Amino acid sequence: METLMRIKDLHTRFHTQDGTVNAVNGISYAMQAGEVLGVVGESGCGKSVHALSILRLIQIPPGEIEAGEIWFAGRDLLKLDDSGIRKVRGREIAMVFQDPMSSLNPVYTVGFQISEALMLHKGMNKNQARERACELLNLVGIPEARKRLDNYPHQFSGGMRQRAMIAMALSCEPKLLIADEPTTALDVTIQAQIIELVIRLQEELGMAVMWITHDLGIVAEMAQNINVMYAGFLIERGNVHEIYHQTRHPYTLGLLGSLPSIDEAPGTRLISIPGLPPDLIGLPQGCPFYARCAFRADHCRLERPELEEAGSSGHSVACWRWREIDAETLRKSAGGAQ
Amino acid sequence: MSTQMPEVEVLTDFAVREHRSLWLDAWRRMKASRTAMLGLVVVVVFLLSAVGAHLFWNYDAKTDLDYSSKLLPPNLVSSTENPNVHIFGTDKLGRDIFTRVIHGGWNSLRVGLVAVGISLIIGCLLGLFSGFFESFEMNRIEKLVLMSGLGLALGLLPAWIASQWYQTLLFGGLGAAAVFVEKKLAQSKLRPVLFAAAGALLGGLSGLLLAPLVGLVCGVVGLLIGLLLNKPVNGKAFSSITMRVMDILLSFPSYLLAIAIVAFLGPGLEKGMIAIGVVGIPVYARLARSAVLSVSQKEYVLASQSVGEGHGRILFKHVLPNILSPIIVQATMGLASAILSAAALGFLGLGAIPPEPEWGAMLGDSYKFLSSGAWWAVLFPGLAIVFSVLGFNLLGDGLRDALDPKMRTK
Repeated sequence: METLMRIKDLHTRFHTQDGTVNAVNGISYAMQAGEVLGVVGESGCGKSVHALSILRLIQIPPGEIEAGEIWFAGRDLLKLDDSGIRKVRGREIAMVFQDPMSSLNPVYTVGFQISEALMLHKGMNKNQARERACELLNLVGIPEARKRLDNYPHQFSGGMRQRAMIAMALSCEPKLLIADEPTTALDVTIQAQIIELVIRLQEELGMAVMWITHDLGIVAEMAQNINVMYAGFLIERGNVHEIYHQTRHPYTLGLLGSLPSIDEAPGTRLISIPGLPPDLIGLPQGCPFYARCAFRADHCRLERPELEEAGSSGHSVACWRWREIDAETLRKSAGGAQ
Repeated sequence: MSTQMPEVEVLTDFAVREHRSLWLDAWRRMKASRTAMLGLVVVVVFLLSAVGAHLFWNYDAKTDLDYSSKLLPPNLVSSTENPNVHIFGTDKLGRDIFTRVIHGGWNSLRVGLVAVGISLIIGCLLGLFSGFFESFEMNRIEKLVLMSGLGLALGLLPAWIASQWYQTLLFGGLGAAAVFVEKKLAQSKLRPVLFAAAGALLGGLSGLLLAPLVGLVCGVVGLLIGLLLNKPVNGKAFSSITMRVMDILLSFPSYLLAIAIVAFLGPGLEKGMIAIGVVGIPVYARLARSAVLSVSQKEYVLASQSVGEGHGRILFKHVLPNILSPIIVQATMGLASAILSAAALGFLGLGAIPPEPEWGAMLGDSYKFLSSGAWWAVLFPGLAIVFSVLGFNLLGDGLRDALDPKMRTK
């Protein structure tokens, strides 16, 4: 497969009054064309910031992309000038945001907002753009698309707005769609519809999708590969099967353990990871997960583990003791203890 | 569950609402409010009479003089003793007050519109730029334009004092220079010293051409400007400099500042418009800035950025329409206060030049005759001021309620 995007040692920081927040600390990975990548982690672990860094949408100041390279279609996005990156945005990499209620401009019709990108990037005139916007609304499953073009966002429901946002993102046939928690603000049935929609469109259009979420259930269903992030670090990466069944990182293990299971007896308490993520101002010297880890050793406190190969086919993990962690037996013992 | 998969799943979660545009919606709510409608009626009457008088009713203030009929009380019907009808009476020069009140309306309207126009355009642009670039990084051209514009504007003060107008250009150049030497000198301790010295020299030398004292004053002002422009060039710096200047303008009592500006420029209706307009700038700048700051954080702005739109497009197509309502309300209210300020200036003899009809000036001309019983010469222009100001204020209040999204459920 062809590599679509390669991120090398990306560092993003925010300079605030309290100190420098190390939001993304040296992330490196590659994405293939047509791949569906799930990025998981808890709130504030740098998932969204790293995605915004790709399109250089970080607010500067206080933000700053300090180091790193993002190679996309043969060029480093971080070295492009203003108009260069604007041509990438929307045309090659598009984004869908979390809150469909606020991501459409309330003063313009939905049709206008979809055609705007088309007129900007494809040089279409008003009528062509309108036609295409109508097709796009059809594509994302909005009934009576032609009528709906002239509606204002407040006349759409939440699920429909997110569909409209997806239509907007797809308007220029991007090679990569970054979906930043697109279903978090929606209820479960609409979530399922949106996920199905994106998967269908991904297959039809052959684009790559980066799906950012903290819901492991969603990515298990749709993603081929998963990046697990913690405190701005990429701590485990592999395909879905490896992440779920040959888990190597204690944090991933904890995340999976905290999922409710349908087999559990009623009244069973969910397992949670004790403690809180480290303060991103002044990170600990050693492993960022040290304070909460059930497998910690003295060495972990002193030196930060690098991402290393663990097994075959690109499964990699940043942990000193990954060899000792065998997910299956651990899960069983945890279940037995209860 | 059917085995057939529909090609496109059809949504059933319709949340359809009857389509109503913002303005139609606002109008419906306006109609429900009695005070707002009263304000609207007063304003419309005022507008019609003022514009109508200007267009269709010739009145030559310079030749209007009739000593035989001075200070006549209101007279509604023609009789043998008083053959001429003066429904508002006449003033000390025997001029019909009704005619002058109506024509004075045109002048008040002009002052209001031009003054509000000046403060609205300049204030909004300043507020838009300073609010917007606090959250968006400026590119090089934007930096150049804004910083040299800032230098030009700041340079107006020493240029005015020294009456050497080319000075503004020099300070504009200093602002532009701040962008060019930014990279090299950004961290240098020398930078503030260099800028202060450059500012002092620019101001001082050109002032010296006039007089040593002027040179000194301009040098000090120039030094301060240099220190301001020395700040690192980014949106935050631009915004904080602009807003501090606005704070300085706001710290003067508004009438005092307007009088000071008119005293510099000389009396006249046009000068009054400029003075009142300048005094109003900070209000709009602050209003626009705070609104832009909150709108810039909205996700649709990020979304429009993520489809590759440029700064200008985002600012004027996505941010501006979303901050319009408070600005429209402020402008309506601003019309009222501009009319009032114009009347105040006129009363003091700093506004319209006699014999031009102007409400404030009419008051100023006639209040001396109040003790001799000529109440009509003061009452009617006074009522005209009261009603026009009241009308615009009521309309503004109504608009604020009508355009407030929180009230929309009503």
